Formats: sequence, structure tokens, C-alpha cells
Amino acid sequence: MDVSRRDFFHIAAALGIGLPTLGTAASTPKRLDQVALQDIYGFKAKGNVTLLHICDMHAHIKPLYWREPSTLISAPNLTGTPGFLCGESFLKHYAMKGKTLDAYFDTFMNFDTLAHKFGKMGGIAHMKTLINHVKKERGADNVLLLDSGDTWQGTGVALKTQGEAIVKAQNYLGVDVMVGHWEFTYGKQRVKELIEMLKGKFISQNIVGDDSFADDYEELIFEPYTIMERGGAKIGIIGQSFPFTSTANPKEFTQGWSFGLRLDTLQTYVDKLRKEEKVDCVVLLSHDGFSVDQEVARQVKGIDFILSGHTHDPSPRPTVINGTVIIIAGSHGKYVGRLDIDIQNHKVKGYEYKLIPVAANLIPADPEGVDLVNSLYAPHEKEFGEILGVTKNILYKRDTFHSPFDELINDSIMDAMDSDISFTPGYRWGTTVLGGEQITMDDVYGMTAITYPNVYTFEMGGLQIRNVLEDIADNVFNANPLYQQGGDMSRLGGVTYDIKIGAPSGKRITNIMVKGKPLDDRKVYKVSSWGGNLQNAGANLNDQLTRPVYDVAANYIRRQKKVDISGNSNVHILDYDCGCPRKGSKSC
Amino acid sequence: MERRSFLKGFGAVSVCAALVPSIVSAADEAKKVSGPNEMSVESALAAITGGKPVTLSSKVSLSAPEIAENGAVVPVKVSVESPMSAKDYVKAIHIFATKNNNVRCANVYLTPANGEASFGTRIKLGATQDVLAVAEMSNGTFLSAKQNVKVTIGGCG
Repeated sequence: MDVSRRDFFHIAAALGIGLPTLGTAASTPKRLDQVALQDIYGFKAKGNVTLLHICDMHAHIKPLYWREPSTLISAPNLTGTPGFLCGESFLKHYAMKGKTLDAYFDTFMNFDTLAHKFGKMGGIAHMKTLINHVKKERGADNVLLLDSGDTWQGTGVALKTQGEAIVKAQNYLGVDVMVGHWEFTYGKQRVKELIEMLKGKFISQNIVGDDSFADDYEELIFEPYTIMERGGAKIGIIGQSFPFTSTANPKEFTQGWSFGLRLDTLQTYVDKLRKEEKVDCVVLLSHDGFSVDQEVARQVKGIDFILSGHTHDPSPRPTVINGTVIIIAGSHGKYVGRLDIDIQNHKVKGYEYKLIPVAANLIPADPEGVDLVNSLYAPHEKEFGEILGVTKNILYKRDTFHSPFDELINDSIMDAMDSDISFTPGYRWGTTVLGGEQITMDDVYGMTAITYPNVYTFEMGGLQIRNVLEDIADNVFNANPLYQQGGDMSRLGGVTYDIKIGAPSGKRITNIMVKGKPLDDRKVYKVSSWGGNLQNAGANLNDQLTRPVYDVAANYIRRQKKVDISGNSNVHILDYDCGCPRKGSKSC
Repeated sequence: MERRSFLKGFGAVSVCAALVPSIVSAADEAKKVSGPNEMSVESALAAITGGKPVTLSSKVSLSAPEIAENGAVVPVKVSVESPMSAKDYVKAIHIFATKNNNVRCANVYLTPANGEASFGTRIKLGATQDVLAVAEMSNGTFLSAKQNVKVTIGGCG
């Protein structure tokens, strides 16, 4: 607990906690601390069962800074709807006030200032204290901890241990059930080994064998659902892993497994749980993405709750569609979602929800968790702790088109490979380094720790580049959520372009400039790319240049020492005035 | 085993390759040769229906992935609600890839003895497009279902 007394006042004020007896409070700072903590814990308990929900931790077992996007733009029909809210439109939608602890967690606004005030977010030792608090309040037998996946990947410690460190963290937190996405990038064999180590269950109704030579051809790879009894109620939990794993990540990791939304079989399992298994409540533990799950709720009947993940949205209030209640708990361990359910006579009668911010300065660390984290990091401390340089301005990952940290990575790639164009993937995971702070190797891993880290350098024709950009744009901006893959637009180094998001597929992108000159459809360009499969579409791969992206970025930052990234976007949006437009509007 | 790994290797490459035809055809429009199997969806349909109308119907169910995992082998299943009696049955199921150079994927002819009008296969899709299933009914009518399948290079950096 390293909050100064002065911070208590800031926090208390920001939380809107009245201080009628300021004098008394100032003389008893501990009391104030309790008030602030109680405000985080504060919950109108309901019913007999509590589901605690986490998603997209991306292996961040230590607290971190994580800045939410300042640009989150979608197809016009989805603009300003849950899943496509940021900044002021987020605050307005959820009727929240700015400059509060919640606004600090949920939006980019005043991030630098508030970060110094409120400190870091998440970390398993702090999450555990919160989980223990709820278990104590509700009775451990009435609580389930459900994890929507993207847990095993995203940091150096996860990569170096091939996921094992994070499974230990999950066992420590007490994860009961999980599904996956980036988990699969450790490969089929390793996934099975890690599931053996996991004390909880790994379920998925949408992964089926598709190797006609294998024993599991057209068979389920994992249990599709599990039934758990809590608070005297039978809860059926169906698993939905990321439907587009084999398209979004290299196929080699999951060769022989077929993914997909599989809404027909999902409906079958919902009906089976209700009619045959006679459960009292049907939960879908999902990694579909927030907007996709809203579409799932429209098409599949009889799901009580969808615990969503993948798109990293914090959603302070549930979204209810056709009677299905959808929640999603942000990313990077920033939140634990608490869902209390009142189940009576085998039916859901009511619920209460709160997205609880894991404010690491306010929620004390559980000592056991601190020890665990230290022991997991100890073998790598020397490598991860290396200070590579200092950044003048804030470095972050999110935003639809451009981010300062990705700009830095693209700069390092173009410097090392002498390429015309660099592609860095529009993943939604990463980390944030505040302006004036040091960049460590751990931070670089936090942006790049994947099992296929190579930067490839190859040739592509101008027309092909144009078509690839349109293809990626159509995955991000498709008007039908079911055809989106839930990432942000690839980040381009060496290129500027204009985009009209509402234009038809294949006609969104214009005015593409490469190093200041118009893209020539017939010219061949030297392209570098990592984290995708663009190299398969290119020609004349230069194998001698192939190197892991974390080494490329680290070398560059070491040489630069002082990093000065402007943060100015290289993409001009033609049909919106700002980054966080309101519903039905082109402006904020 | 060798054949198997060859097939796997082929499968892995072809999604990215699948994007290429549209690019190539755009660039080489002039020297594009019209093959003997090339046919538009309109003429392929007319050859089957003889110009009769084709009606979208909930009796025809077409199951295909929203986003193809591999454009070279996209699993497609068609089933048609029908008693499959001597008086009322499905005579044929036709599957079209509406934007392939050759749109015709499969023609499956049935009799009441089939008991069930259901057929599944894998088709190759050169680009994002609608897959169209047409059921030819014994009373001479044509019912259909369609679904858009996205073929993408995906996850590219």
C-alpha cells in the first residue's frame, strides 16, 4: 500500500466521496483509505451466486499502465454502440464523470496526469485480494471465477515459460473455467500440456477436428460445456473460443482443428443444457468479441449471460439483447467483473453487476501473490529489467490506426531492414509507458511477446499492397460484426493514406503515399512485416534479414537512448471528425 | 504420410494464394483467356432452371463459415426440408460460388430413396463472395439459400 496521504484526498475527491469532516479524516488517514477501498468493493449483493469474470489479461501478472484508445472507429451502423465507444462518447454513454478513478480506467482522457495520481492497474496479487474479499462476503462455495481467455500470452515471462508462469497465476487466482485464443499460439501439444497443469477446466464448443486422416475428425477437441453447482443452483457454462483463430494467427499452430462461430451447435448445447441437463442458468463463456456477442445474442435463443472477451472493452454496465445479458471486463487484468445472480425455482430472477477496477494503489497486494510473481520473474530479472532508453512522450498501443509504441516499432524495423514499408499488427494487447519514464526490455516484450516473432522482409507490388490494405480494412470495418475479426487496423511505417470507413468494401482507401510519393500500382516495394502471414503473399523473401521483432526494437531503442515519438497519426479519416464519434454522428 | 504432409502444406499456403487470383485477374484483364468452364451465375442458373424463378426459402438451409479458414477447401452443407415421398421430393441440389470464374461447384441428383435431401462438400472460393444453394423440387419449382463467405489473407501484420 504505497498511497500517500495526499493521494487519499485526490482519490477520495475523484471518487466523489464526500469529506464532511475533513479535519478528522486528515488526522486518521487509514480511515480514508478504507473509505476509498470500500468504494471499490461497494456492491449491492444480490441472490445466491456470484460469477467473477476476467478476460484478456495477456499474461500481465504484474500491475501496469494501460491507456484505452483515443480513436475507436467502426462501420457507420455500429458507431457509438457498446464495443465502439471511447473517450467522451464512452463517458456519455455510461453517464460517467471525467477525471474520476473510473474514467481513468475506462478512457484515455487526462491519462498521463491521472496515471501519476492513481497509479498502476491490475496484477494478480491485487486481483487476488479482491477475489478473496468477494469469496469471503459471498461464501467461497457460491462464487465462480471465469476467464474468457487471452490469458497465457502477452509478456516476456509468458513467452519464456511457454505459458506455464501464467497457468500458475491462474491456479493461484482460482480460475474455474476458461476458453482460448492466443493460448493456441503455443501449439496444440503445448496447449494440451498447459491444460493438464491448469486446475480449472478448458472448454470450447466451436473447435472441431478437420483432419480427415485423424481420429478426432469432426469430433469436438474439448468438452463443449461444463455444469457447476454454486449457491444451490446448477449453472451450465458453454465455451466459445475465438472463432477466427486459424485466420488471425498462423494455421500451423492449430493444423487439424477447425474453429468458427458455429451458432447452430451453440443453440443445440443451449437447448440441451435447458431440456436435458435441467440447468437453472445458461452462461456462454466467450472469446467472440463484444460486438460479435451482441449479434450472437440476437441469433441464439436462451442464453442468460454472455461473459465476453477479445475486443478488450471495459463495459461498466451490461448490454442486454433479447433478454441475454452481456458483460465484458476490459483487458490486461485492469478489472474483475462481479455478477451476482438471483436464481429461484430454477430460473434467473435478477442480477447485479459491477466492473471493479483493480487499482493497485488502493487494493492491497496479497503477499502470496507478490511472492509468486517475484519467483516467476526471478530467472529473467536481468534480461527483463534492462533499461533500454527513456521516452519523451507517452507510448501506448491502442487506437484504430496508429499508436506511438507501434510507430516506434515500425521505425526500428525500417531502420534495421532499410525497407520502404513496415507492417506492425493491430493487436489490441501491449503495454503503456508514461512520458519521461524508462523503457525496459519487459516493456518491449509486453508489445511483442509472440511465438512467431520474426520480422520478414520481402517484395510486394503496389497493387498488391493496396489490395492487402483494403482486405485488412474490411476485417476491421465490416458493417456485419460476424465478419469482423476484432482487431485494429495494421500499423504502417513509411506510408500515409486516407480512409473513408463507410465506403464499400475494396473502396475505402485512397491517396496512399509511400515515403511521400504516391503508391505506384506497378512498382515493386521492399516490405517488412511481423505478426501476420503477409510474407506468404509476398515474393523474394530475404531470409538473411529475418530476426525477432523484440530484438529489432530493443536494439533500436538502445541506440536511440532518448525516444521522441510524435504520436501524430499517419492516417487521415475522411468521414469522421474525431476519434470517438457518438452514435449516429460523425463527430464527438 | 508424404501425401498427407503435402496436402497440409498446400492447405496452409492457399489462403494467402486465394487472395491472389482477384489481384492477378485485375492486372492481367487484357490477356485473360475465357476457359471452356467459365460461366456467369446467371447463365449457369438459367441452364438449370430454364428461366424459371428461383425463390429464397427457409426450407433450404445452407451452412458455411462466415470467414473461410482456408479458401481452397471451404466446407459447405445444404439440407432441404422435404418429405422425400414419391409425390414430393427434392430432385437436385446445386451449389454455386457466385464470383468464381467457374461458378458451378456441385450438382447432386436425388430420388425419394435418398430419404433425406442433404449434401455436404468442400468448395474452393477465389475471393469473398456469396455461396448459393439451389434446390430443384419435384413440382418444378426452385428454392434457394445463400450466404456470404469472407476469404481473407487474415491476421497479416
